[in-house]
Amino acid sequence: MMENAWLIPLFPLVSFVILLLFGKRLKEAGAYVGILMTLASLVFSILVLFERFSEPSYIQKFEWLKIGDVSLTAGFEVNQLNALMLFIVSLVSFLVHTYSKGYMHGDGRFPVFYAYLGLFTFAMLGLVISPNLLQTYMFWELVGLGSFLLIGFYFYKEEAKAAAKKAFIMTRIGDVGLFIGMILLFWKTGSFEYSEIFSAVEAGGISQTMITLTAILIFIGAVGKSGQFPLHTWLPDAMEGPTPVSALIHAATMVAAGVYLVATMFPLFAASKTALLTVATIGAFTAIFAASIGLVQTDIKRVLAYSTVSQLGYMMLALGSAGYVAGVFHLMTHAFFKALLFLAAGSVIHAVHTQNIEEMGGLWKKLKWTAPLFLIGTLAISGVPLLSGFFSKDEILVAAWEGGHPILFVLALIAAFMTAFYMFRLFFMVFTGEARGNQNHVHESPGSMTLPMLVLGVLAIISGYVNTPWFGSFLGDWLVDGNEKLGHGHMEGPIWIMIAATVVSLAGIYLAWLIYGKRSVSRNWLSGSGDTLHTILYNKYYVDEFYQMTVVAVTKGISYFLRFIDVFLVGGIVKGVVGFVQGLGATGSKLQNGQVQTYAAVAFVGLAILTVIFALTGGYLQ
Amino acid sequence: MSSIPASAFLALALILFCIGLYGALTKRNTVIVLISIELMLNAVNINLVTFSKYGAAPSIDGQVFALFAMAVAAAEAAVGLAILMALYQRKKTVHIDEMDEMKQ
Amino acid sequence: MNLGWALTLLVLFPLLGIVVLAFMPKTAEKSIKLVGFLATLPSLLLALAAYLHFKWGKDLADFAVTHDWIQFRGMNADEPYFSVNFELGLSGFQLILVVLTAVVATLAAIASKYVKKEWKGYYMLFLLLETGMLGVFTAENLILFFLFFEITLIPTFFLIGKWGYFEKEKAAYSFLIYNGLGSAVLLIVIMILFAKTGTTNIEILKSIMADPSAPLSGDLKLGLFIALLIAFGVKLPIFPLHSWMLKVHVQAPPAVVMIHSGILLKIGAYGLIRFGLGIFPEQFEKLATLLAILGVINLLYGAFLAFIQTDFKMVLAYSSISHMGIVLIGLAAMNEAGVQGAIFQVISHGLISALLFFLVGVLYERTDTSLIENLGGLAKGMPIAAGFLLAAAMASLGLPGMSGFVSEFMAFLGLFNELPWVAAVGTLGIILTAAYLLRAVLGMTFGQAHREFAGIMDLRGVEFIPVVVLTFLIVLIGVYPSVLSAPLQATLETIMLGLGG
Repeated sequence: MMENAWLIPLFPLVSFVILLLFGKRLKEAGAYVGILMTLASLVFSILVLFERFSEPSYIQKFEWLKIGDVSLTAGFEVNQLNALMLFIVSLVSFLVHTYSKGYMHGDGRFPVFYAYLGLFTFAMLGLVISPNLLQTYMFWELVGLGSFLLIGFYFYKEEAKAAAKKAFIMTRIGDVGLFIGMILLFWKTGSFEYSEIFSAVEAGGISQTMITLTAILIFIGAVGKSGQFPLHTWLPDAMEGPTPVSALIHAATMVAAGVYLVATMFPLFAASKTALLTVATIGAFTAIFAASIGLVQTDIKRVLAYSTVSQLGYMMLALGSAGYVAGVFHLMTHAFFKALLFLAAGSVIHAVHTQNIEEMGGLWKKLKWTAPLFLIGTLAISGVPLLSGFFSKDEILVAAWEGGHPILFVLALIAAFMTAFYMFRLFFMVFTGEARGNQNHVHESPGSMTLPMLVLGVLAIISGYVNTPWFGSFLGDWLVDGNEKLGHGHMEGPIWIMIAATVVSLAGIYLAWLIYGKRSVSRNWLSGSGDTLHTILYNKYYVDEFYQMTVVAVTKGISYFLRFIDVFLVGGIVKGVVGFVQGLGATGSKLQNGQVQTYAAVAFVGLAILTVIFALTGGYLQ
Repeated sequence: MSSIPASAFLALALILFCIGLYGALTKRNTVIVLISIELMLNAVNINLVTFSKYGAAPSIDGQVFALFAMAVAAAEAAVGLAILMALYQRKKTVHIDEMDEMKQ
Repeated sequence: MNLGWALTLLVLFPLLGIVVLAFMPKTAEKSIKLVGFLATLPSLLLALAAYLHFKWGKDLADFAVTHDWIQFRGMNADEPYFSVNFELGLSGFQLILVVLTAVVATLAAIASKYVKKEWKGYYMLFLLLETGMLGVFTAENLILFFLFFEITLIPTFFLIGKWGYFEKEKAAYSFLIYNGLGSAVLLIVIMILFAKTGTTNIEILKSIMADPSAPLSGDLKLGLFIALLIAFGVKLPIFPLHSWMLKVHVQAPPAVVMIHSGILLKIGAYGLIRFGLGIFPEQFEKLATLLAILGVINLLYGAFLAFIQTDFKMVLAYSSISHMGIVLIGLAAMNEAGVQGAIFQVISHGLISALLFFLVGVLYERTDTSLIENLGGLAKGMPIAAGFLLAAAMASLGLPGMSGFVSEFMAFLGLFNELPWVAAVGTLGIILTAAYLLRAVLGMTFGQAHREFAGIMDLRGVEFIPVVVLTFLIVLIGVYPSVLSAPLQATLETIMLGLGG
């Protein structure tokens, strides 16, 4: 089965092509094309995953491009991480395909939506089975394209247009880092193949500075894609896309690609302490930074978006603390519960036609399926014991502690508290209390939407049990099997960390309940300490404005300056040359005065000069 | 006869030519310019005759050629004067500065 | 097997079209357009046949053709004859350029359906231009090259000056003056080479130059190379010799800009590679750093300026400058990756800019404008055209899976090995390219429609041919770059041999 893994990305590509060509005729029946194709991918992925449990990794490649004597290859590889990612991506994609059938019903560009979904799924699946850095980079950009297209799906909205543009350009800034890092690594190791890069790094032929530099450059790529500080601003804006897209791309799969990249390149990072520390610091900072913004946002999707940024920061922190397994583990559980949350949020939006949580409330009774499922997701992300998020978060905290970064550990703990708080704030505001907006036509979503949520809900509960301190760390052991560079399958940490994590998340929930559930504490309690803090948080620390005033303004400034040069300097030189030639011509034409005598005089002078030259040099014939 | 060296004839021709050239380039009256041109032609004729007598290979050819040149010069003077007459009738002047038709 | 006749026919076939057109009445618009289009087909078929010939493993040298043409010698009978022969030939590099030319010329002939007046004269000049371009890429000696080079100049001048937009005369004159000066410098170089070595055959010149006992001093060679750089730098164009090209891009009719931006600019790159790198490898090496810096300047300068333009055609014009910077960057690297990247960029940009300018023509035909702000929200009325426009922009900004990426990647790959810092500054261009292209394209297609595009016609009929063909080729090269790299192997090896490594 593994030798046929290359088929997995091709199914969605076929779906993309079919829908692009025949979408107009298929109309909403196009959904079945997409669903069937991703189902095929899912089935294959499951088969591959199970086969990988018992068999060694499989890699196959062929020559893609020859440059001189170097031959660049393309191909595919199935190892533990790839097989796991294949499964996650194809599962979430399949569920989102199913869900969208209900969610996008009635949209005029229904087939186009499915076509884009197919393109994205193709790129994402291609990304996770790439055997070398170059191919990874190519699919890396293609998932960016899919994300761009889907964010801009409602192209007639100015916000969607701006968000799509921003997403593409911001991630591209990161991509350039990856691009440079990749090329530098190529010249140092002579290959784009992961295995060869790692063995070259291990052999020690590369200076420590170069390892650190390339690792950080590659990490910049991950920062862009995974919405880490300071390139995080595009991700919340990306919520302009349809909600299923947010679930698939901006929660479960693409944004996790940055984490995946760092995980894939882990042996390189592991070779440089500085690089690891950078990853961990950026991760921890992003985790708390985004969580604090999430505390005050009022758009349901933006709250989830900031929580995504924050959770991705967690994963980076895990990887940076050498917790390879913890990072990947959290990637997996997060994919499930965050996709669940987004789909449930989509179901809510579908029902009430607004995204502002101030206008919701009291939906628990009206949305019989959505509400409990949303609660499951909220519990999971908050790290409440026995759900998946608890186990993976615990692993990360252990990794951070064992990694010897007590400050980062504390940051992560605070972020966990905030996460629990704002997620339950969201939950209470949406589902409990009185209805605050116009809710006349609220109805539960159709089965095609609730069913995928149900699947994800089950996974959000149970997926943590593949790697627990109690029932064995099956996932961890499997992931690092045969590769000791990746660290241990499971980290033993002091038991108090687990207790602390539980306490912190319960405290967050309790506080949220006091304020938004029971309402015994005023909502202004937080902002009471100063409107300034609230304003700063609400405006996301003014990072966007800062970029607008610095980067964008500087770019424009340079542009106008260069235009000045173009018009006046380059244009001026041209004008100068033209003027000189014209002047020369004018002077020359004055000689022609019509006086034969002048002509004769000139001719005579010329003759005289020639004669003198002739006399002095002795002539040509000499 | 032979006491006069060839260089004397050549010097005479040179002086004559220079006078002619000076006149042709500086005089404002077209008739004088025409006469000056005749002077230059005569200077050439003197040279021709001189070399036919004192040249490296003396022969009668030079003198024959000088006669030809005189005939042609006479014809040329006639044509030149005719053109001058025509010009004078059109422009009512023989002043050379007024004759800048070549500029147009 | 000698196929020289086929190559000669390939180059001269468009002239037959001119003869046919000469006998047609001026007013028969439809049939003139049809004949004009048909006349480009034989060359296209022959070019494709030549590619297949190569693909089947046969020798491209089969296509070489030589005829005696002009011979003369000095006053003494013992001096050798100076001879200028009619020599055409194909190498892998020339082959792909010929195919590119034939494809773009045929598609531009289709795009010429928007021409509104004097179709007869237009198509005659157009076909003459095609012969010129094909000749430029197949000529095997410098004088023949120069002749064909001049043949491309004159028709372009008239095509711009007569069928262009409002300031067409100005654009045409500035085209002619710049390029005329460029070719004058080129002629001087050619004549000096001819006088000193007695030949203008490119292959022979290469071997003479490689010979240390050649009758040219190092300084002279350097001077000649700099002159060559200026001559082709005008064509490419290299900053600050670019201002003519902006005017042409904006004022010329779209079909001519397809040719101009797609192929004529590429003559500059072709000249730099074939003559600069081929005949003067040592001098090229001396100036490599300078060229790399010039390349980065081109790249960034074009990108920054494209960022603030209001006319989409100006955006594309500056983007051409920017993309030609990548050619310079690749060449300056002087290694396999870089040179291959530069050649890829030549082809890739030819296809992409032809596609973009065709779409500009389509839009202009329907909306009478190419100002970005006047076109907002176009995707609603013309979803297919908007989709292709976005695809073309993606190709242009170097999205993997399309040709732009492969070339950009290789060019930078090459330069990072030689001058990492210069290359690192250059990568800024990758971001800027995305920024200005998205700004322009999204500004035109996305957002609220500023005016009613309800009754507007989307792409239809023959308009699909250029768009689909070009998109297909762009994706083909992006996904399977071996279609280009295979013919280039031999050429690259020769160049690398010349560079002494």
